[in-house]
Amino acid sequence: MLSAQNHRNLPERDASFDVPCPRAFDFPFETSTVELLPTVDIFSSGSNVALNRWLGIECQKIEAGLVVGTVPSWKPGWPKVHTVGLAFPEAIEFQPAPTERDGEQLKTLRARKKKPDGESDDSQVATKSTRLRPPSDALSLEDRLFYILQPPLETMLAGQDLIMPFEPFPHQYEGIGWLFSQKSALLADEMGLGKTMQMITAVRLLLRGGQIRRILLVCPKPLIPNWQREFRAWAEELPVVTVEGDTARRNLIWKMPGVPILITNYEVMVRDMEAMPEDERPKFDLVVLDEAQRIKNRDSKTAVVTRDLNRKRSWCLTGTPIENRPEELVSLFEFLEVVPPRATPDLRQLSRLADVYILRRTKDVAMKDMPPRLDRDAYLELSPAQQYAYTVAEKEGVVQLNEMGDQVSVQHVFELVLRLKQITNFDPLTNESSKLDRLVADMEEIAQSGGKAILFSQWTKVLDWLGARLQQFNPLIYHGGVPTKKREPILAEFKADPTRHILLMSYGTGAVGLNLQFAGYVFLFDRWWNPAVEDQAINRAHRIGQTSTVIVTRFICKDTIEERIDAILTQKRAIFESILGAGDESNVTLSLNASEIFGLFDLKARHGKGTKKIAPAKAEDAKQDAA
Amino acid sequence: MTSASKDRKDQVRLGFMTAIEIVDRTFVGGLLVTDRFGRPLEFQCTTPVKPNRTQELLYGPTLVPFILGELLGKTLLDRISVKPTLVLTSRVEMLQLRPTASLPVLFDEASSPSDSSDTATRTEVQKDQQVRFGRQTFRMHKDFLSDRAIVERIALELSDDANMHEPLQRVGEALRETMSTVAVRPRVA
Repeated sequence: MLSAQNHRNLPERDASFDVPCPRAFDFPFETSTVELLPTVDIFSSGSNVALNRWLGIECQKIEAGLVVGTVPSWKPGWPKVHTVGLAFPEAIEFQPAPTERDGEQLKTLRARKKKPDGESDDSQVATKSTRLRPPSDALSLEDRLFYILQPPLETMLAGQDLIMPFEPFPHQYEGIGWLFSQKSALLADEMGLGKTMQMITAVRLLLRGGQIRRILLVCPKPLIPNWQREFRAWAEELPVVTVEGDTARRNLIWKMPGVPILITNYEVMVRDMEAMPEDERPKFDLVVLDEAQRIKNRDSKTAVVTRDLNRKRSWCLTGTPIENRPEELVSLFEFLEVVPPRATPDLRQLSRLADVYILRRTKDVAMKDMPPRLDRDAYLELSPAQQYAYTVAEKEGVVQLNEMGDQVSVQHVFELVLRLKQITNFDPLTNESSKLDRLVADMEEIAQSGGKAILFSQWTKVLDWLGARLQQFNPLIYHGGVPTKKREPILAEFKADPTRHILLMSYGTGAVGLNLQFAGYVFLFDRWWNPAVEDQAINRAHRIGQTSTVIVTRFICKDTIEERIDAILTQKRAIFESILGAGDESNVTLSLNASEIFGLFDLKARHGKGTKKIAPAKAEDAKQDAA
Repeated sequence: MTSASKDRKDQVRLGFMTAIEIVDRTFVGGLLVTDRFGRPLEFQCTTPVKPNRTQELLYGPTLVPFILGELLGKTLLDRISVKPTLVLTSRVEMLQLRPTASLPVLFDEASSPSDSSDTATRTEVQKDQQVRFGRQTFRMHKDFLSDRAIVERIALELSDDANMHEPLQRVGEALRETMSTVAVRPRVA
């Protein structure tokens, strides 16, 4: 209803009115009443007359559609999702290990790990996890994902398809993981930390993972039986073939397909590779050099031929990556193909390369709970006969050297040093030996307690001489003169026979690669020229598996050449750290250099013992002094 | 061990599937298939997927389960060449994959990320939904409780102390590595 009640200008009539239903609408339409109560103020504007007119209403027909629609429409479409894939190489199947073949339950590493009270140490196993990390040179995403997606080493090894005879130590897990991911690697752990086991296990995992299929291991000849034994212990399912026999047989072995692991020694490898046409030389996925310091001289034939081996990965194992000069590392790096041929990196560059490609742990850090090694230097007086022989030899020798004047060479001095060293071992005329006396005294105590000792000497003759005089301790002799086939039985007998109390070994043959951790005593009957070699010898006994303290006795005869050599070697023992670390001692060497050998006698002169300088530059002065 | 038994063991293929949210509502998924020892056989990961505003509004709370389960999960399962025997996931939303897949899908409650959108993750689950697999207990899809028999049969081929949680972490790490290495523009719907 329209109402104009409040409209002052509308006529006073009912302001409501009916709105007729427009005829245009077809559907029933009720009459509705609309209230119109416009409140309008009227101003005297002269135009208010319009307000007096009735409202006009116009009706129009509107088509109301019969179909209901929704605008805009939307369909739940999603874009196609793309994927990126990475397939892993298939694993190689080997013959199952014996426990599996026999149908026995697979041993697990977890089961072996016991607490002192006999309960399994589950918590430790559950928390320990060594993940593989992509190597620093893995740039592609695929390469990086390959390593990231590998299970932890503990999972790979723990009682699943890879049986391990012993639970590896944490540093070994770390080393295995590191080797696994490195194409170029120098594992330089201190001797006795298990480089062999780490290498074998890493190889085993790579083979299992289908990463490699053919491996060549090159090692010094005496160590071949050791490697064969270690492979049997740590990876029994891996077929290992040693390249040996006559030329035809070796050629057959080199070319034999389907053999995953070949072992050979440096000499055979060099000889056979040189004899083989280049296009017929075998190809390897991995070449491992044990005691890799054998190629420290980059121009040596061994180093050259080794670098030419066809390979995809290159690993080196050595406890002494630097025996003499830091530059020796360059030859190893050249084999690892991390420096260009003939490169001459400075020490800073070497140090940077070492950070990436060398993994070295020492026993102090890696094996904190390993029994300690006690070093004791036994300073001995020469026996009267030895003293006489020594004095005569030294005087005569020095006089002889001085008479040579400018012709004197390191070799001449060296010969004198050797002669004097031999006399400190025993007097050749009377066979008197203060070292032997002390050794017998010590050995009586060791034998009484059922202990075993290893003795090292530079000379095989000295070892034979000692062997004849230590019969009460049932000695065994192991040196280069013993045929290779007889060496392993000697070691086995020394281990198994409780009456064998001492093993007499030469530095050259016995210092590397052997596991003699059942011996608790080491004697260095005479001193080697290089402390790294002495350490290698000592570490035959002081290594993983050793359960008691290893007592190392160095025999040093007072006021002799031995004491002077010892003083120099002692100063050099920290060399590894300085070179593998900051590396600012470019001229320092581990072995005695020429001036140091000359200086051996110079040292004595300074102590007032009457021996004069013999260095060529001052030969004239020396002559005068001697006169 | 008989050869039949060995073959059965060798046929076990475990799928480990997860997804991570890289930025706001942008997801990337990954599936790792391993043998029974956890050794990787194949890995697939998706490009990132980001829903648009309309999808967010219209899917509402079903959005993330849809993206993770039906979009990413199903795509991964379709694309992978080495087909898994079952799928383990650390995202509860990926349980939604089960109705569209013909294999058991198990959710590892213990490894569920804290940012999981499903707050029901931590809620109590019916006992009959839980199943032991390796060292862990998993949750099955409530409408597919008959999966228990298959899961228990596969579990017999595994070591009792096999850690089924760890491979899921690997997948997560691989996805993060992928995202940090590759600058991928999310596919906006």
